[in-house]
Amino acid sequence: MSASTGIQEQAAIMTDYVAGWKDNGGKVLAYACVATPVEILEAAGLLPYRLKALGNPDTYLADGELSLLNCSFCRSCLQLGMDGTYDFLDGLIETNGCDHMRVMFENWQRVKEPDFFHYLKVPHFFRDDSLEYFEGELELLRDAISEHFSVEVSDEDLLGAMKTQNEVRSKYRELCSLREREKPVVTGSEVLALVVNGSSVRAGDYLEELSRFVEERKDATGETPGARLMLCGAATDEVVWFGEIERMGGLIVADAQCFGARAFCQEYDLDGNPIHTLAVSYLSNLYCPRMYTEYTKRRDFILDTAKRANVEGVIVLYNKFCDLHGVDAVLLRRDLAEEGIPVLILEKEYSAKADIGRVRTRIQAFMEKIGGGA
Amino acid sequence: MAPMAIREGENAFERTLGVLDMIYEFPDLLTDDELEGVAKYVNPDIRNTALGLFELPSARNTEVLFVKKVIDILREAQRAQAEGKKVVFIPFTFPPEIIFAFENLFPVCTEVIAGLAVNVLGGQGERFWDFAMGMGLPDSLCTANTMTVGSFLMGPGLKPDAIVSNSPGSCNPNAKIHAFAADYLGIPQFILEKPTDDSERGRELYFTYLSRLIGDLEEFAGEELSEQRLREVVLKSSKAADLYSEFWELRKAKPCPVPNIFNANILFLRSQMWGREEAIELLEDMVALSRERLKNGEYTAPEEVARVYISYIFALFDLHGFFTWMEKKGISILGDILAIHFFPPVDTSSKESMIRWLSKVAFDYPMTRQMGASEISLQWLEDIGYAVKDLDADCCVYIGHHACKHTAGSLTFLRRELMKQTKVPTLTLVGDSFDKRHTPMSMIQEEIDLFVNKVVSKKRKAPRRRKKTTSRA
Repeated sequence: MSASTGIQEQAAIMTDYVAGWKDNGGKVLAYACVATPVEILEAAGLLPYRLKALGNPDTYLADGELSLLNCSFCRSCLQLGMDGTYDFLDGLIETNGCDHMRVMFENWQRVKEPDFFHYLKVPHFFRDDSLEYFEGELELLRDAISEHFSVEVSDEDLLGAMKTQNEVRSKYRELCSLREREKPVVTGSEVLALVVNGSSVRAGDYLEELSRFVEERKDATGETPGARLMLCGAATDEVVWFGEIERMGGLIVADAQCFGARAFCQEYDLDGNPIHTLAVSYLSNLYCPRMYTEYTKRRDFILDTAKRANVEGVIVLYNKFCDLHGVDAVLLRRDLAEEGIPVLILEKEYSAKADIGRVRTRIQAFMEKIGGGA
Repeated sequence: MAPMAIREGENAFERTLGVLDMIYEFPDLLTDDELEGVAKYVNPDIRNTALGLFELPSARNTEVLFVKKVIDILREAQRAQAEGKKVVFIPFTFPPEIIFAFENLFPVCTEVIAGLAVNVLGGQGERFWDFAMGMGLPDSLCTANTMTVGSFLMGPGLKPDAIVSNSPGSCNPNAKIHAFAADYLGIPQFILEKPTDDSERGRELYFTYLSRLIGDLEEFAGEELSEQRLREVVLKSSKAADLYSEFWELRKAKPCPVPNIFNANILFLRSQMWGREEAIELLEDMVALSRERLKNGEYTAPEEVARVYISYIFALFDLHGFFTWMEKKGISILGDILAIHFFPPVDTSSKESMIRWLSKVAFDYPMTRQMGASEISLQWLEDIGYAVKDLDADCCVYIGHHACKHTAGSLTFLRRELMKQTKVPTLTLVGDSFDKRHTPMSMIQEEIDLFVNKVVSKKRKAPRRRKKTTSRA
């Protein structure tokens, strides 16, 4: 299937591409966490759709099931599930990314009773025993999808999907290198918009769009940004926030977010058992604070990226009540400061417009501190 | 980050023990006059601890004995490092008997330290929480663990040699604060992840993880876990479990003969002393006293007005305001989420059989079982529903806590389904078990009073409606 995937479409939950896919009888299976191996869904001929809220500020239905102590991104997604926006989905895959996400999925399942619901359990550390279990989980996911959607997902199909993902991720990395240049030719907002949009398009179809974008930009001439920033923290699909930061004179030249660089650091060796390869690759490349014993690995990933992109300041952005990122942020601030990289920790509510003024002031002050900005 | 200001003697553990030592001077049989003297003598912040433990004459002697045993074990923890042992921090969702099975290790439960600081120190441990917040930690973390960590980062005194965290899989905030503390203190962290998988496959994986943890602890402790020592600990743990089951049965009686404050005692015993002889002695004493009260028809209030099950955790920052106040009002507290234990039959035939038994105990440990379940809300409902039905509770009170995102996000479902399945209403309060600044006890009391008088007692007095009989034509 081929369809327009222009990055402007990211502003919609139901894009033309998704609508076209559905019109042609295609099935859409949603997931929320980067620990979900989309290759299994691709190999089954499904459209993997990463749940997003795209800045939806309403949570009034979700608040009846969840609580104000739950992450506002999860509440916002649940709202869209409950108000019918996501009724086009043919199923959901839950993962235990965090406590908020778990209760979001449980409530969604209960309220909407999707035709297909599968819980993919992802261990919190990478070791031989947890890896073996995760491999089993991926087999169970493959079986569940095969049975429900009446498709066979062979190893060959999987290897094919993995090969395509290798190409897409490689292209994403190339895209990121364009913003890491001394005079970047891509903005952080553009990268986020591409990643967000790409998370609801089949990999093969999106590769073409992504390649075209990279080709258009790679020979362009950029400008020296006011301040070279890196964005870390919790999952966010709020392109508006990236834009807000960049309008103040900073440029997000690097990130370590799961709607971003953390989502495409894997590269598969296509020689082995595909399920084993997927399990190893996903479990060992999460760079997420849910992996409790891997702080050092995450810190090094961030430091390496920051140094490579010649970053002048790091912004750690997360939603209120996100304990995972909130605690990591304290350690990151300590360790990055030791390396001479200033850190701004920014706790906010998802899509809260009232927050914008406060956040803008803090970012401006940070820019002044690091000597950048308009 | 700027260097921390360390002030002598501000470590919660050291300070708590210093204050508690005073109780060692108490006579075993404390008179009303002596209690009055104590209440006037202590810091006003902790007057309600003294009154909560000792005011009601029926349980006073048991409580004096209990506190003395608490002091004994804390002193033992304090001496442990000097005696060549390593102190291991554990959360209250982890069976301490696993650590007691090692000759060279000594467990200290983090929530116990926070609970003691809150109930024994002037200022109720708030300074330790504030210190942690000053470091930039988020204010949505678990107060108990954060207070303890704050205290250990803040002042000199006992420091852990390692942390065992079994929160991964069941609780983000606790798992995270444990990881933070290990990193900050530069000590090892041993993880026992709870697979969120209730199937046999999940249970088997948990056994594998526990076996691995024991291997890691053996290496850390420099000893092989002795089968004989393990058997002794497992048998003591099992004996305590039998006594606990007796408690559960006694709670079914109306009016409930178990003093409300025993709920707090048991929580301490399970978290810090299980697997030790002292836990058995105290449980025997508490069971005997409750049996005696049952036999004599003793009850503190003129009548039992309500039987309440706390669907999350007790408010622990004011023992008198919570436990004693309700007891005087005729409100029997039947338990909380931490009181729901499932002890399998013990098998001491081999080392592996005992580790398997411990694995089952730990898998079904309170909070680990519910918050680490395949479906959190269903497991929580099933277990609270079971407790409510088995103990014939009239109502539930949920005192929610900002750290527990699971229960916050499942409460609507629990309340609705519990009402449907058991006809038991739930009072929802926002509060904090360890920090009175969230919701003061006076407000908790007011809400409970209103709920019991307006909802529960009316429900109890209302004549039962006859079921309509329908005839099929």
